[in-house]
Amino acid sequence: MKVIECTDLTKSYLRKRVLDQLTFSIEENKITGLIGRNGAGKTTLLKIIAGYIKQTSGEMSVFSQKPFNSLLVSAHSIFVDDQMSFPSPLQLHEILDAAGSFYPNWNMPLAKRLFDYFSFDPKHYHNRLSKGKTSTFNSIIGLAARAPLTIFDEPTTGMDAAVRKDFYRALLKDYLAYPRTIILSSHHLEEIEDLLEDVLLLKDGKNHLHVSIEELKEWAIGFKGAEEALMNWTKDTKVYYKNQIGRNTVYAVVKNVFSEQELQQAKAENIEITAVCPSDLCIYLTGETKGGIDDVFVDR
Amino acid sequence: MLNTDGTKPIYVQIADWLETEIMNGHFQPDEKVYSQYQLADMYTINPATAAKGLNLLVDENILYKKRGLGMFVTENAKERIIQKRKNQTLKRLIEEVVLEAKRLQMDEMELIDMIKAVQFEGGES
Amino acid sequence: MSLLTVNTAEIVKKQFLFKLKANIDAFSSLVWIQLLAILFSLGGVASQGSHSDGLSISIKYFSSDVVIAFTMIWGLVTAITITTRPYRYFDFSFVTNRITSSLSNIIYLFTASVLGGVTAMLAKGLLIIIGYLFLDFQLLDFYSQSFHVRDFMIGTIAAVLYIFFISSIGYFIGTLVQVSRLFIVGIPVLFIGSMFLDGMMQREPMAMKTLQFYFMETSLFIFIVKVFISTALFFAASISMLNRMEVRK
Repeated sequence: MKVIECTDLTKSYLRKRVLDQLTFSIEENKITGLIGRNGAGKTTLLKIIAGYIKQTSGEMSVFSQKPFNSLLVSAHSIFVDDQMSFPSPLQLHEILDAAGSFYPNWNMPLAKRLFDYFSFDPKHYHNRLSKGKTSTFNSIIGLAARAPLTIFDEPTTGMDAAVRKDFYRALLKDYLAYPRTIILSSHHLEEIEDLLEDVLLLKDGKNHLHVSIEELKEWAIGFKGAEEALMNWTKDTKVYYKNQIGRNTVYAVVKNVFSEQELQQAKAENIEITAVCPSDLCIYLTGETKGGIDDVFVDR
Repeated sequence: MLNTDGTKPIYVQIADWLETEIMNGHFQPDEKVYSQYQLADMYTINPATAAKGLNLLVDENILYKKRGLGMFVTENAKERIIQKRKNQTLKRLIEEVVLEAKRLQMDEMELIDMIKAVQFEGGES
Repeated sequence: MSLLTVNTAEIVKKQFLFKLKANIDAFSSLVWIQLLAILFSLGGVASQGSHSDGLSISIKYFSSDVVIAFTMIWGLVTAITITTRPYRYFDFSFVTNRITSSLSNIIYLFTASVLGGVTAMLAKGLLIIIGYLFLDFQLLDFYSQSFHVRDFMIGTIAAVLYIFFISSIGYFIGTLVQVSRLFIVGIPVLFIGSMFLDGMMQREPMAMKTLQFYFMETSLFIFIVKVFISTALFFAASISMLNRMEVRK
């Protein structure tokens, strides 16, 4: 069953097209990573899915409903980010109670145990929490709500490494115990890649790539060796990135269209073959073609 | 735990690990192995990835699936694994060794002597 | 995953209870405002003096109207406050749509109006008590000043409806401001502008005429109907505007 179906979705603000004819769909109970540069349109897309904002044109369907003003979509989804706001007079434990009253699948024991594990004071106030603690608290709500569609928009903002690790582990464990559709938008693909089943890569508001994480990990391959030797291999495939190292060595990232034997042959030609991790690959795929940061430091 | 430098896909590492477990006798024929969910929990990975590793072993006839019950070790799994590792894994390693030796312009005798020496050392310890 | 059916009424009820807890400071500010009003009232609203051979009479008029007026202002401000962004956004952290959000707001405002109206009426009694104990009020005709329950009820109903009506105006103004910031300037300009116009045209101020429409009504039933319809119109207009508004931009 497709939980989200998106067709030619466009969102424009004044002159700028933040989402541009975006088309994709997400099946139920998968963990999908939403990846892209700042400004690629990730948060805008998630807010349209959550029903907070409206598209300019195109179709968005969540649980077969239009999400804007849909009580059904709201009751079956939760949107977690660091801007999640709660009335200031409420203490943290009262916010948990409120969440429990709204969400039918709310698991209070889980919420309370996570709450204690991360050392929250029930009588504390939400607007007095530090950045990392705010993200952690909001994430606890996101997990314990067990909403059929759970959206995390950069949930680990401000969290230290230990807390991030715990959060990912908690997310996986609760997903195993109670499967649901999860969309996780993050700038740290390398941290979450093992958790993901699929990846949706946005570039300039468009669907650049939507594949399983396994496909993404094997999407490209790195060749390192002498320029002439590399030429042969790179000419029949797409080159995503190229970098000169020293006088003779070139490192190139290309689409992996090669068989095992072909790669063995390349190795025999003294070319070093390396895998390209999804995080780096996404950087190369979404890079501007104007050159890299090194150009800033070239003496003119 | 898992090798994250990108040399081998995670699901392949899971499959290899299960193979080693079977080879070492930790799982007997017709015994149930871990489910995708248990593997996911053990390695902190997505269960779909774990499932891919299990399916890899099903394709190689090392595991078989019993609908609704899980994955079980096939009859001659252990032998099959040993065979596979000889013909594929070990062979690939030898190919690398031979290639490197060629790069270093070693001749056949030198290489074989080296292998013998290492085997000997291994025998001692 | 099977989807559960969603009951709009249930959600509105849950939101209303949530808002009661969330807006507790509105109720504490109600107390302060009414106490302040009582303090002002103790200064008296009018006085008269009279001398005659050897007899001097001074009469001071006290009224609890100030309390009601202050409470109405409180109602207005409370209503405007809950249309502002932070408050509208709170609902979206949980389960809502824009209609349930407004409906629960309206029920909340009605509850606040009832509370405000009742306490405002009771303030009158409080004034008398304070005056008697501390300000040397001479209670003329104490026993015939009997407390007519019926009058009190009518007074309370009127007070509650006035406050609720004013809050619907506040909700409407707040919504307009959310639609466009220009209304922050526009609405006062409209008000003052119409007064100038009335002054120039030498006719009764529009504001007075509108107020008379409500205040001068003698039949309680018709008064209730008038207020009910007007309040409903303001809320309906607000709901339709809020229903299209994006949140968390």
